[in-house]
Amino acid sequence: MKKITVYSTPTCVYCTQLKNYLQENKVEFEAIDLSQNMEEGQKLIAKTGQMGVPQTSIQELDENGEVKKEDFVIGFNVEQINSLLGIS
Amino acid sequence: MKYDLLIIGGAAAGLTAGLYAARRALKTLVISKDLGGQVSTTPTVENYPGFIEPQGGYDLMERFKKQAEKWGSEFKMAEVASLKKEGEIFKVETSVGEIEARAVILAFGKKSRHLGITNEGEFDGKGISYCVTCDGPLFKDKVTAVVGGGNAAVEAAEILSKIARKVYLIHRGDKFKAEAVNVDRIKDRDNVEFVLNTTVKSAHGDGMLTHVMTQNKDGGEKKLELDGLFVEIGFEVKADFVKDLVETDEQNQIITDPKQQTKTPGLFAAGDLTTNPYKQIVISAGEGCTAALAAYEYLEQGTASLDWSSGAT
Repeated sequence: MKKITVYSTPTCVYCTQLKNYLQENKVEFEAIDLSQNMEEGQKLIAKTGQMGVPQTSIQELDENGEVKKEDFVIGFNVEQINSLLGIS
Repeated sequence: MKYDLLIIGGAAAGLTAGLYAARRALKTLVISKDLGGQVSTTPTVENYPGFIEPQGGYDLMERFKKQAEKWGSEFKMAEVASLKKEGEIFKVETSVGEIEARAVILAFGKKSRHLGITNEGEFDGKGISYCVTCDGPLFKDKVTAVVGGGNAAVEAAEILSKIARKVYLIHRGDKFKAEAVNVDRIKDRDNVEFVLNTTVKSAHGDGMLTHVMTQNKDGGEKKLELDGLFVEIGFEVKADFVKDLVETDEQNQIITDPKQQTKTPGLFAAGDLTTNPYKQIVISAGEGCTAALAAYEYLEQGTASLDWSSGAT
C-alpha cells in the first residue's frame, strides 16, 4: 500500500497541476500547505535538502502501516510520478 | 504512436493549434511537460478578448485544453528528447516512447533565463529559485535576494517583502526597467534594499545556499549572506534539439514565414518562441491557429504518408 503526500504552496501553479494530475489519475493523496505549516516544511527540507515546491512523498507501507520505503519526487516531474505510481 | 500532427507545447499557441487541427479532422497530439506554460504562472489575465472579468492564467489554459480535447485533440504530459525528419516523416523521441508524425508544430514557448554562473545548478532548489510564487512562502523570515530589473523582478521583491525578513533587489543597471508604479510600491519598505549597478558572480554554500559574491560596476566584490536567491532576468528559447531544422535570430527565436512555416517543410513554429515582437496570449493563439491551418494545407497537398496499419493507437 502506498501513502502519497504532496507538499505545496497555494500560489504555486505547478503544485496545482500536480494535484490535478493525480486526481485525474485517481490517485489519493494528502496535501500539506507549507505556507501554513512551516514546521512540516522544515522537516521536509531537512529530509530532501530541497527548498522548493511541489515535493511529493511516496511511502510504501507494510501491513502494519509501517513505512518500508519512501521516495521523493521534486517538482512536477510527470515521468517520475508515472514510474513510481505505475501510471501509464 | 502515429499522428498526422504532433504539437510540442501545451499553452496558448499549442492548444489553439490542437483545436484547429482537430476540427480539420487531423489525428493530433499535443505533448507538453506542463499545462499552460508561462500563462499558468500569471495570477490573472485581463486582456484576453471575450473575457471581461479577470481570468486565472491556469484556468484560462485549462479552458483552451478542454476545447481542443472536445474536438478530438489528444493531450499527453511528457518531455521531448529529440526530433528528426526522415524522408517525409518526423520521428520524435519522447519520455513516452517514439512518435511518428506527418507534420510538427513547435509551440513550447520560453523558459526562465538562468544567471549562467558556476554552481547555479548545484543550488537549484537548494536556495536558488526561478519561481517566487511557488517557493517564496518557504522563505518566511529568511534573508533573500531577487536578481533582475524588470517588472517580474520588482513584483517578486514585492511578494517576498511580505514573507521574508530581508529582500535585496540586485540589478546590474542604475535604473529599473520595471514600471515606476511597481518600483514605488516597494522602495520605502523597511525590509527592501536596492543593490544597483551590481551583478551576481558566484553562489556558495554547503548543500544549501549560504551566500553569493556580487560585483559592482567599479569592480568591487562583496559577499552577501542569503538563504534564497530568486532569479527574474527574463526568458529564453531553448530550441537546441531542433537547431538543424530551423533558422533562428540572435535571441534564438525561431524564424518562420507568414504561415508559421520554418525552413523545414512540414515543421511549423508558433507562439512566444517565434520572432514576433509582442509576446501576448492572443498573438500566440493566433499563430497557433495559422500554424494548424498551414499544416493542414501542407498535409493535403503533400506526400508525407504514414503506414497506419502498425503502431497507430
